[in-house]
Amino acid sequence: MATRMKLKLKTVFLLYFMVSLLGLIYALMQLGQRCDCTEHDFPKDRTISRLRGELHRLQEEMRKLEVTKQPLKQPAKPSLPTIFVITPTYARLVQKAELTRMSQTFLHVPRLHWILVEDSPHKTPLVTDLLMKSGLTYTHLHMPTAKDRKLQEGDPSWLKPRGVEQRNEGLRWLREDRRAQPGGDNQQGVVYFADDDNTYSLQLFEEMRSTQRVSVWPVGLVGGMKYERPVVEGGKVVRFHTGWRPSRPFPIDMAGFAVSLKLVLANPEACFDGEAPMGLLESSFLQGLVTMDELEPKADNCTKVLVWHTRTEKPKMKREEALQAQGLGSDPAVE
Amino acid sequence: MPKRRDILAIVLIVLPWTLLITVWHQNAIAPLLAIRKACHHLVKEIFIIPERLAVRHHRLSDDGVEGKREAGGQAQDSKEYCASDKDIVEVVRTEYVYTRPPPWSDVLPTIHIITPTYSRPVQKAELTRLANTFLHVPNLHWILVEDSQRRTPLVTRLLRETGLNYTHLNVETPRNYKLRGDTRDPRIPRGTMQRNLALRWLRETFNANNSQPGIVYFADDDNTYSLELFEEMRSTRKVSVWPVAFVGGLRYESPKVNAAGKVYGWKTVFDPHRPFAIDMAGFAINLRLILFKPQAYFKLRGVKGGYQESSLLRELVTLNDLEPKAANCTKILVWHTRTEKPVLVNEGKKGFTDPNVEI
Repeated sequence: MATRMKLKLKTVFLLYFMVSLLGLIYALMQLGQRCDCTEHDFPKDRTISRLRGELHRLQEEMRKLEVTKQPLKQPAKPSLPTIFVITPTYARLVQKAELTRMSQTFLHVPRLHWILVEDSPHKTPLVTDLLMKSGLTYTHLHMPTAKDRKLQEGDPSWLKPRGVEQRNEGLRWLREDRRAQPGGDNQQGVVYFADDDNTYSLQLFEEMRSTQRVSVWPVGLVGGMKYERPVVEGGKVVRFHTGWRPSRPFPIDMAGFAVSLKLVLANPEACFDGEAPMGLLESSFLQGLVTMDELEPKADNCTKVLVWHTRTEKPKMKREEALQAQGLGSDPAVE
Repeated sequence: MPKRRDILAIVLIVLPWTLLITVWHQNAIAPLLAIRKACHHLVKEIFIIPERLAVRHHRLSDDGVEGKREAGGQAQDSKEYCASDKDIVEVVRTEYVYTRPPPWSDVLPTIHIITPTYSRPVQKAELTRLANTFLHVPNLHWILVEDSQRRTPLVTRLLRETGLNYTHLNVETPRNYKLRGDTRDPRIPRGTMQRNLALRWLRETFNANNSQPGIVYFADDDNTYSLELFEEMRSTRKVSVWPVAFVGGLRYESPKVNAAGKVYGWKTVFDPHRPFAIDMAGFAINLRLILFKPQAYFKLRGVKGGYQESSLLRELVTLNDLEPKAANCTKILVWHTRTEKPVLVNEGKKGFTDPNVEI
């Protein structure tokens, strides 16, 4: 009896083992293929889309409530520091497109004041209209660049510094404007120099809002590299990781730093030096304001890229020029 | 002795089963986790929205998420509502969302935007600013199709963080595909397979009979779009057209519109006798038309330069049916900008910068 039982048990065990092994092999094979998980997802997906719908409906309600609500009770929230974005711009084919997409980005940022300075002897209607329709808080200035400082047709873009007079004009206006309205709250703010062809993520503006003196972060696609960045050790900037002339006092791109308004107002002489050698434009401004030790690293200790130094191609106009020679150019009144 | 054998037998039985269960669990969990994260995220939004919002007055749907809470919701609450599988342990990560698309409206037709994209250094920048534009447009559905073997984490993360309504697809264009004996140029123009995949997805997802109204627009990731453009295209009945800047070597190309408001030709220099001498960004198609003509796709091969758009449009509509927008095709609402390829000389052979940092 005992031996027979044992034998039977052995076979059972063996069978059981074989079945398990086969099951495991099958499962492992399944792992190699894409799993068709869609069945799981539908009910949850539906819940989520329904929730989203409700969420948006609530937001709508909230917006309506905001309008009718009485403005009392709520303790005055400390208002966000305003970000003053100084952008030099000049007339060229892609100007309207660049400014359009810039304004679309800025519309998402609360408390942003756009200071747009044209390189022109007077304000152009194109920019005036664009700013008016944008829905942004803005200041429209203009300051022409002296002829000998201007890049000529065919000059490489790095030959002469660009936007110097315009940025300085922006700073001048800001200083004058703030002086005219004294008050502690008015001194709260951050100044950022944004070129009109770069790309900005929305997170960047939230990072820079807390600037106390000068804050810095990495910039993508600049200096002949994927990104340039300050190197941070122990919460302080110790040096800069850049492939081009790292011995500069501040080897950082214009888009890689922001200055607190207080500092700008406290140093009324600080501005960009148009005579500075190539690549030292940013340093000419920052040198008078801050030392490397005082820089505040943002973007997760300067490990995330939140702004990219993109450049837009000059559109090819061969056919346009040919047509214009025949007197059949496209309507110049169309912007 | 029998004892050891017994133990051995038990171990041999239990081991494969535990392996099986672990493997299976992991396989099934991953998509569920993603869904749960989305659920958490959503619940957090609902509670975080507002001190201002009188949440007491609003009752969310019955099965599960109840709105009767004080504002300033805590992370724990979302776990309660979303955890139907109590055995999954998950860390709830608070994602900070910066902005939101406008609320979904029941009356506006949905705009389905088909964007093919591919990996290159400026990809994240392009998609970021495109998303910044799209976040202003109500009832927008972004169909982003990657030219890659699998969906990249960069794009996946980007799409999720924007908060847009999106669909993420991918299909790889075979490179250097040479058809035996085919003397014409066998290369498939970039973006074609991706756009076709999106069209196919639309046809599979939406039923021709009872679908919500929708408009299909092909948007490349380096162009610039004004917000007015999307409102103009929303009223498309069949196919609408408008001018596009910086194409065809001109300041802009545009359709020729006669006094009756009908398109009768094309104001271009480059081959104006094409059936549809228009850029990809210059037209939009009503979704119904796409669904009624399920055979209409972009031609993959043997298409002359500039004829891609015609290869699709001629199967859908005639010149007479075109609807001119943008003030009878006199305003520019879209620019065919192109981003310069960044010069990365200083990276050198080995790469100077940390490859783990995403740009």
